[in-house]
Amino acid sequence: MKPSLKYFLFTLPAIFYVGFFAFYPSFDAIYLSFLNSQGKFTLDNYKELFYFNIYGTIENTIIVTVGALLIQLFLALGIASILTREFRGKKAFSTISIIPLGVATVVSAIAFSFIFQTVGGYANSFLHIFGLKGVNWYSNTLISLFVVMISDSWKNTPLVTLIILSGMLSIPKDLYYAASLDGAGPIRRFVHITLPNLKKFIAIALIIRGVSEFNIFALPLILIGYHPALLTTLAYELYSTTTIYLSSAAAVILLAFIAVLIVINIKLGGGRK
Amino acid sequence: MSKLIYIAAGIFTIYFLLPLYILLMIAFSPAKYTIESVYPPLYFKGFTLSNLIYAFTQYDFISPFFKSLAVATLVGIVALIIGIPAGYGLSRLPGKVAYPVLILLLITNMVPGIVVAIPISAEFIKLGLYDSIPGLAFVQELITLPLAVFILQGTFSTVSRDIEYQAKIDGASTWSFLKNILLPIASPGIAAAFLISWMFSWDEFTYAVILSPIHPTLPIEIYINITRGNELAAVAFSLVFTIPVIILTIALQKYLKGEYLTGGLKS
Repeated sequence: MKPSLKYFLFTLPAIFYVGFFAFYPSFDAIYLSFLNSQGKFTLDNYKELFYFNIYGTIENTIIVTVGALLIQLFLALGIASILTREFRGKKAFSTISIIPLGVATVVSAIAFSFIFQTVGGYANSFLHIFGLKGVNWYSNTLISLFVVMISDSWKNTPLVTLIILSGMLSIPKDLYYAASLDGAGPIRRFVHITLPNLKKFIAIALIIRGVSEFNIFALPLILIGYHPALLTTLAYELYSTTTIYLSSAAAVILLAFIAVLIVINIKLGGGRK
Repeated sequence: MSKLIYIAAGIFTIYFLLPLYILLMIAFSPAKYTIESVYPPLYFKGFTLSNLIYAFTQYDFISPFFKSLAVATLVGIVALIIGIPAGYGLSRLPGKVAYPVLILLLITNMVPGIVVAIPISAEFIKLGLYDSIPGLAFVQELITLPLAVFILQGTFSTVSRDIEYQAKIDGASTWSFLKNILLPIASPGIAAAFLISWMFSWDEFTYAVILSPIHPTLPIEIYINITRGNELAAVAFSLVFTIPVIILTIALQKYLKGEYLTGGLKS
C-alpha cells in the first residue's frame, strides 16, 4: 500500500465525522426550509419571513458584524503594539489580555447586562459620578446593537490580538531601525511599515472573526433578547415558537451569507501554506 | 514613551478585568449595594457570603454541573479518538493532500451552529438522543474536533520523521511506533487538545440550548436563571463556572495560538 494512502486512511474518520454532522444537517436544513407541515414543497416559509422583518434582521446582523470587527481590530492593534515591546510586567499583561478568551460567552453576557442595565447599571453609575444623567441603553436599535458590539468585543478582542501579534512579530526589526534613522516617528512607522505588512493578517482576522460575528447568538439573546433581532436569534425564536420549517428558512438565509464568507476565505487562504 | 506604554497597558488591564470585578462585587456584596441600587457603587461596600449560600441551596446547581462535566469529558475523549489518527495522518501527508482536508475542517468549523442544530434536533427526537449526554457531545464535537486536529497535527509535525524511519528499520509496526514513541513524545500536545476540547464544550451554548433544554448544561442553567430574574443565582453559578476555565486558559496559553483558533492558517 502506498504510504500516503495509508496516512490518508487515518484522516477518514475525522472527514466522515464532520461530513455527517455538518454537511448532512446543512442540506437537511435547506430541504426542510422548502417544506410545509404536510411535507409538500413550498416557498411559503421564505415569504413568511418578511412578516418577521427579515430585511431588518439581516441589516442588524451586518451592523453588529462590521461594528464589532472595527472595535476589535482597533483594540487588538493597540494591545499587540504594547505586547511587541519589552517592559516590566509584560508577562502579566499578556496573561491578563488573554483572560476574556476563557470566560464563557454566557458569563460575559451576564456581566455586561449588569453594566448596561438601564436602572442600576454600572455604566450609568459611572456617568453619575460625573454628574451625567443615566442612559437608556435599550432605547433604540442602534444603541442596543452597540451594547452587543461592546460586550462581544470584550470577549473576542484577545483572539484578534493573537493574530495581529503573530503578524507584528513577523515584521523584520530592521525595517523599523531604517525608518527611524530616516527620521520617521512612531505614527509614521505604524502607518508605513506596520499596517502594510499586517495586511494579510488583518484580512484573515477580519474574515474569520466576521464569520463568527455573523453567527453571534448567546450574547445578543441574553443582552437584548429578540429585539432587535439578529439572524440567529430570529431563527431560534422561530424554532421555539413556530415550526421547524420556518426556522430552517431563517437558518438557511444565515447559511447563505456564511457560504459567501467561506468562499472569500478560501480564495484568500488558497494561496497560503 | 515607556510611561505611555504603562498608561495604555493600565487602561487595557482595567478594561479586561472590569466585568469580572463587577461579577465578584455582585456575588460578594449585599444586594442593596448592587442589584437593588439605582446607582450601584463601583467599589466594595460590604461583604457577604449569603448570596452564594442562597444560590446554591435554593437552585439546582449540581445536576447541570455534572451534565456539563460529563458532556465536556466525552467531547474531549472523542476528540482524541478521532483527532489523533487524523492529526498523525495529516502531519505525514504531502501538503497538496493535507491542505484540502484542513480546509474542509475549517469550513465545518464555520457552519452556523443554529443551522446544524435545528434539523439535528428533529433527528435526535426520533433517535432518542434528544436531551441526552452523548447526543449533545457528538454535536459539540463538531466545534472541537477541527481544533483538536489542528493542534495534534502541529504537535506531530514537530516530531522528526527520522525517529519514525529509525523505528521502522528496527522493526516497529505503525501501531507500536504510535504507542511507544509518538504518543509519549507528543503528550503535551495531546493533553492540550483534550483540555481545549473540554473547555470549548464546557462553554458551548447554541447546541446545548437547542438540543438539551430540559436537562440543561451549566451555561443554559445560567441563562435560564437570568431570564427568570434569579440574578444572584446566575452570578454565583457564573463564578464557579468561570474560575476553572480561566485557570485552564492561563495554563494553556501556549497552545491558544491565533493560527489554531482561526483554523490552522499559517502565515
